[in-house]
Amino acid sequence: MLKLTEPPSLAQSFDFTHGYKYYLQMDSGKSDFILLDHTADLGIIVRGSDTKDLFEKAGLAVIHLMIDSIPDRETKSIRISLNGNDLAELMVNWLGEILYLFEGEKEIVTSIVIDSISPTYLDATLKTVSFDPKLHDIMCEIKAVTYHQLEVAKRDDHWEAKVIFDL
Amino acid sequence: MTIKLESLDNYRWLVPKTGRMRVPGMIFSNLNLIGLLQDDQSLIQVANVATLPGIVGHSLAMPDIHWGYGFPIGGVAAFDLDEGIISPGGVGYDINCGCRLMTTRLRADEIRPMIKILVSALFKAIPCGVGSTGHIHLSKSEQAKVAVQGAAWAVKNGLGDAEDLVRTEDHGTMDGADPSVVSERAIKRGEDQLGTLGSGNHFLEIQVVDKIYDPEKARAYDLYEGQVTVFIHSGSRGYGYQICDDYLKEISRSIASGKQPFDLPDRQLACAGLKSDLGRRYLAAMACAANYAWANRQILMHWAEESLLETLSIGPNELGMKLLYDVCHNIAKKELHTVEGDQVMLCVHRKGATRALPPGHILLPEIYRSVGQPVLIPGDMGTYSYVLAGAEGAMTQSFGSSCHGAGRVLSRTQATKKAKDRSIARELEDKGIFVQARGKKTLKEEMSEAYKDVSQVVEAVHGSGLAIKVARLRPMGVIKG
Repeated sequence: MLKLTEPPSLAQSFDFTHGYKYYLQMDSGKSDFILLDHTADLGIIVRGSDTKDLFEKAGLAVIHLMIDSIPDRETKSIRISLNGNDLAELMVNWLGEILYLFEGEKEIVTSIVIDSISPTYLDATLKTVSFDPKLHDIMCEIKAVTYHQLEVAKRDDHWEAKVIFDL
Repeated sequence: MTIKLESLDNYRWLVPKTGRMRVPGMIFSNLNLIGLLQDDQSLIQVANVATLPGIVGHSLAMPDIHWGYGFPIGGVAAFDLDEGIISPGGVGYDINCGCRLMTTRLRADEIRPMIKILVSALFKAIPCGVGSTGHIHLSKSEQAKVAVQGAAWAVKNGLGDAEDLVRTEDHGTMDGADPSVVSERAIKRGEDQLGTLGSGNHFLEIQVVDKIYDPEKARAYDLYEGQVTVFIHSGSRGYGYQICDDYLKEISRSIASGKQPFDLPDRQLACAGLKSDLGRRYLAAMACAANYAWANRQILMHWAEESLLETLSIGPNELGMKLLYDVCHNIAKKELHTVEGDQVMLCVHRKGATRALPPGHILLPEIYRSVGQPVLIPGDMGTYSYVLAGAEGAMTQSFGSSCHGAGRVLSRTQATKKAKDRSIARELEDKGIFVQARGKKTLKEEMSEAYKDVSQVVEAVHGSGLAIKVARLRPMGVIKG
């Protein structure tokens, strides 16, 4: 369930919200990310205690955007390894991988464990379920994860990422 | 960062050259639309594009400009072939997203009583929505043929007539396509999405010609008041998105490693030299996606015709469906333009902008040589779409370009909030527009208030001399993903 707030108190505590007028907040107890409003598209700001936590939450945020409710069933376990020039590019590649699993392989990611992560490399284990249009309500089509205004950085005692999607 | 605008007249605003900008920016707009730009970041994006190497003239924005990623949507930029760049973000993820308009011999009053049946039949015949797959499964070798031949592949396979190709920008085939530079992932995503409409702002509409502005040009386009038309807006589907994504990644890596010596204000502007191997490979892959999109719209048109014939139980002559034109609005093309009196080849990026060739242009088919290229401008599902004709002003001011649509003014979340307890389908039905959509949120996200007034956008294009108003089309039935 999504609830619109203008702006939510949570959003004010994030550092990357400059220039955005509206924010959408998850109303499901999963307020680990907020949605950024963009005239043509949509973005997220995610917060994690460390980079492992940040990447896991960002991955699930993508699924939350696409699917009405994340299925609790799982049928497959997939291990993936990815590179990036820096954490920001690693984030785009990571979220792009989750998007491709849906768009290319018709697999919905249901849970994520980052097994190891460095600024340029990650290993992850994903549980997935095959997409079934009769069971799974698609909320929106994400065409791609963009590099536009992309940011991943440490803030005091936590990490934040800002990512804009092309819808 | 605040961008200063200098008003030149009622239709043109200059963004003066400052900082790292290599050229000034130019916004085509009008007094009603220009104020809307203050609320988003699209002007900064016009200035950012002006910093790219080899840019020629101005960093341009059409009247439907809005905030994109990297380039603004509604942005046009031309680059020198020796010094300039190609930017996948300057084309967009949906490579050769575009429009196709068909005329018929039907009159609106004849089909109005059947509009619900017709829309339901089209909704069944045209696969649409997120993750939808089509009736065609392409083997790898067949997909390579689509990527090289474009709309001609569809015609060869019985999905249209050779005459359709004459009425398609570049005859529905972009030269230079090389399927060997397309990734396995793009091939996988393209396997079963040919002949699908997509979601979001993509649509198929049954429309009526509501008003004629230029009777002579309308006659040349075979448009008259009360006539039924069919309008398609779609693109290269997941195949194109993946190609853009793949090359953005590779070009970003190349920049990070110092192979492409660019210092960019936004990573999404990642670009490669037009003469570089990477730049050439992107152009060859982009052409594959452009061709896939042309084949896609050709097939969607064929199935729409079949559906109308069957539902109305009439023959092809009675229906008289004929392609008026097909244009792309997300593309980069090498074109000949006049710069300071010299004819030069440039690479023109159109990111949410439509080519608009004037009368007499050599690239126009004989049938439109004397009147100019049809420019197809879709509006929102509750108001109008427009047909314009390319004008000389486009060649002198905008590298032969015009706008591409209304342009969003509300984000999807803002629109959903505004439409909260309303039935958009009922509101449209009250206006005589019957709509069917696959996605739960589509109608709210795509409601009229989410878009700029397309009539204002078209007025600004007409007033600035980029294209001339020919006809206005009003929706009667809409299908959306």
